[in-house]
Amino acid sequence: MTIMLEDVDEVVRALRTVLAEEQILTGRADRFNRARVPAPFPVHRWAERVPDVVVLPTSTEQVAAVVKIANGLRVPVVPRDGGTGLTDGAVPLRGGILIDVKRMNQVHELDLANRTVTVGTGINMLKLNEYLAPYGLFYPDDPASYPCSLVGGRIGTSGWSLIGARYGHTRDLVLSFDHVLPTGDIMHVGDGIGRKVSKSSSGYQLKHLFMGHQGTLGIATRATLKLFPKPEAELSPFWAFDNYDDAYACTGALARAGVATFAGAVLFDEHKVAYLRRDDEAYIPQPTDVRALVCAAMYGWDDEVRVGGKRLFRIAKEHGARYLGDEISEGDWAARHDRYATPLHGRTKDGQVVPMSWHCEDAAINYSALPSVTKAWHEIVADLRRRTDVFDDWGMFAYTSGSTGVDYLTEIDVGIWEQQLDDRAWAMWVDAKRRLARVALDHGGSISACHGSCREGEVDLVPEELGRGFDVMLDIKRTLDPNNIMNPGKYLLDRAYPQEG
Amino acid sequence: MTDLDRDGAPSTDPLREPFTPGMRSNPPELTELTRSDEIVPQVLIPLEDVKTREFVQEWRNAAYNCYSSGHKFCREVCPVVIETRNESYSPTAFHANVVGMERGELTVEDVAADYVNCTQCGACELRCPNTLFTGDFYRFRTRTVDVVKAARALAVDSGVHQEGYRSWNARTAERSHEPVLGETPVGQDTVRDWADGLDIPIGGETILFVDCEAAFYRTSVPRAVAQVLQKAGYEFGLMGEQWCCGGPAAEMGYVDQARAFAEHNMASWRATGTKRILVLDPHDYIAFTEDYPKYFGADFDLEVVLIVELFAEMIRDGRLVPDVPVDRAITYHDPCRLNKRKGIWKEPREVLRAIPGLRFEDVDRVTQWSYCSGAGGGLAVEKPELTAAISARRLSHAGALDVDTLVSACPWSERPLTEAGDDVDIDVLDIHELLATSLGIDGGGSRGETGDRRFAQVRSGPPGRARRASGEPGTADGSEPGTADGDG
Repeated sequence: MTIMLEDVDEVVRALRTVLAEEQILTGRADRFNRARVPAPFPVHRWAERVPDVVVLPTSTEQVAAVVKIANGLRVPVVPRDGGTGLTDGAVPLRGGILIDVKRMNQVHELDLANRTVTVGTGINMLKLNEYLAPYGLFYPDDPASYPCSLVGGRIGTSGWSLIGARYGHTRDLVLSFDHVLPTGDIMHVGDGIGRKVSKSSSGYQLKHLFMGHQGTLGIATRATLKLFPKPEAELSPFWAFDNYDDAYACTGALARAGVATFAGAVLFDEHKVAYLRRDDEAYIPQPTDVRALVCAAMYGWDDEVRVGGKRLFRIAKEHGARYLGDEISEGDWAARHDRYATPLHGRTKDGQVVPMSWHCEDAAINYSALPSVTKAWHEIVADLRRRTDVFDDWGMFAYTSGSTGVDYLTEIDVGIWEQQLDDRAWAMWVDAKRRLARVALDHGGSISACHGSCREGEVDLVPEELGRGFDVMLDIKRTLDPNNIMNPGKYLLDRAYPQEG
Repeated sequence: MTDLDRDGAPSTDPLREPFTPGMRSNPPELTELTRSDEIVPQVLIPLEDVKTREFVQEWRNAAYNCYSSGHKFCREVCPVVIETRNESYSPTAFHANVVGMERGELTVEDVAADYVNCTQCGACELRCPNTLFTGDFYRFRTRTVDVVKAARALAVDSGVHQEGYRSWNARTAERSHEPVLGETPVGQDTVRDWADGLDIPIGGETILFVDCEAAFYRTSVPRAVAQVLQKAGYEFGLMGEQWCCGGPAAEMGYVDQARAFAEHNMASWRATGTKRILVLDPHDYIAFTEDYPKYFGADFDLEVVLIVELFAEMIRDGRLVPDVPVDRAITYHDPCRLNKRKGIWKEPREVLRAIPGLRFEDVDRVTQWSYCSGAGGGLAVEKPELTAAISARRLSHAGALDVDTLVSACPWSERPLTEAGDDVDIDVLDIHELLATSLGIDGGGSRGETGDRRFAQVRSGPPGRARRASGEPGTADGSEPGTADGDG
């Protein structure tokens, strides 16, 4: 379905009717630089994934006009926001038009009475919070990619927030948004139709449908977001354990404690601690008997955080925790965004330092299944490593998802020596992803809690995970996108179109 | 170690025995397993073009360290990206291009024009998690500025020119100084004109090096510096024959020219027995502390002294005592090459805080990582409208504060900032000038047409916002929602 060169000229001619010349990019570097995301990439097949044209619209109307043109000409459209996703949502698989929304980064309205802000989806959360700071407000959507991911991408992936246990995740924080459908029609979607309504029982709950579709159902262009008082106090204790089991038990107890200011807890397993000790120069050295770590975070007013914090400290102590002190706690928690991107090198088995990409696979796993999944996942990566130095085990995290501790974002970090990727190595990796996803399903979990599950490998198991629900996805896709132009090739949705499936 | 068992079945619990590669305690069979690796090593794609191949060989690992991370923390602090919102100009794209070239997907012709879109301010390097946390332990520190310089050099070397750069450097070569006055010629016969009447000797152990912009355009700056030095009784001379430092040529990729200029200046210093160079311009400071040592190695044995640091020291020691009150409310613009590139941000603030009468509304220097005048790295030569937009954005941040004046410490920033300041009725002054005023020195010299006109205006009312004709509080009060681009 990739459009041919002569067709590109036709597309560009059509685009010129709705966009200025400088909003249409056709240069090779422009296109290649919008073909990748942080997840390791079959770089030797980069050329297969570039868009034919890139556009930089500045308004909902322009986005709609571009999508209408694409739909009329049957040209693929791929939305791209921050391009920080890990499941290839922003990577074009069939060429076509890439809609880069970064120029839609305005703050349109700040409503202090109802405590909302309406923004273009091309705005970054950190920049938005810099804008909000003088009002004593903040928007608490806090992914690890907080300094560079954009609100629109958060909607398209239904992103995860590190402090979601306190404030909710993207789906809870986005009240409503303007959305361009695959036909180019513009709709407003929220709970009900309300622009600033957080809970409605009117009609189907469409808002969730248009979040997390990885760009297969259209493009969000302007969003109204829920705001909170900028926290007066932040408490982020790091506790050390001499074994994983105690750390695991402690994490569960913290999450179940029902402390209102509790924003989340993270469990670092032994491989993660070993990795940090070995290769993260920023990691504050710990005694060798530290084998697992738990970091909790609390946000709120000073008086409530103090009281809640005491309770959490008491729980940790009961589980054998050793508090690592204010310096380590504050320093390491402050680094939570940066650290995820820090490991730009890994090691071969004989210890040689080489440039490596960071990749993390994630799943939603119930608390009770965590130890078993952790063990099974490490074994899968150990198997990769046994076969080649292309892969390195960088350990695992488990993040609390909500305030009750029912399930966890469970993540394994894998170093990949991207310079050495070829078809064999890539196939090995894709197979490993399939096995990792299988473990999640076998434990009653979901393939992804955070990044989405539409990439090569894990996506193969999505129909199995969703069952009849996957057929509903196909029905919806076929209805809303009759010509399969929106981000085609993702999520096995080609199956909605008999001639392509 | 669990994951080395040949039968694939872990003998111990992998959770309990995490693997640390390279440890002496690792089992010996590890080496055997490494030898029989199923994948490594992969053959590189051979590049026919020798120059591109050499460039890629030098930069590929550095490029992969960014590309492999794929995160773009740099993006929201890059002044060019903040303005254009074009990912092709992002620092991470500059690294990805190298990977694209290694793979034979992109050529220097495909990418050369994109590398224009960089002021070499260095914010991206600071914001890169790689730099923030790993330092340079494994020599994997992100070096975007160097990559940009190298890519521009590759372009020039390959005959791919940007027309503005080419003619700028041709005129610089012709006149031995940069054509900062446009068609009005500059050169050896005019390079000391700024010092008229100051009675400064030629040559000597210590010389004052004055960059092209200050020597020919913003002459108020070197005049202020020279007279403050004289007031402090500090002995110095002017160069026997001063050429442009060559830094801008190096920034634009004209490497041979940069080197030739450096060699000329070095010979001139040798001829006059110079041991110490005083520098007022942050760009020169970069050239003399980074480029020249690369050119000359240990032979470059001259001491390089940054004037603003020297003045801070003199104030500390009581050799300079600013006692004339200055009736202004100011904020300070951290020049990129001082704050971001060299970590120099305390001394300028020391100088400003020593000036009586001044109301100083400081902006955190880290917040200023995303600020730039847009004048550096040759951007203004090829894309003056982008420089102007970046300067205007910088002034809009100043406009949100209760100030009437923006103070900089970099002559190159001051021309575009002054023009942008005129639109919002904010004066742009140089820190050295301001200090001179507070020392009772009326330095003379020019701030350019706009700067001189503004400086001559009589101001009344209390210093600060109230003094500005527009008097707008900016976006910080929420009255006018706008783009959130880094003001805190």
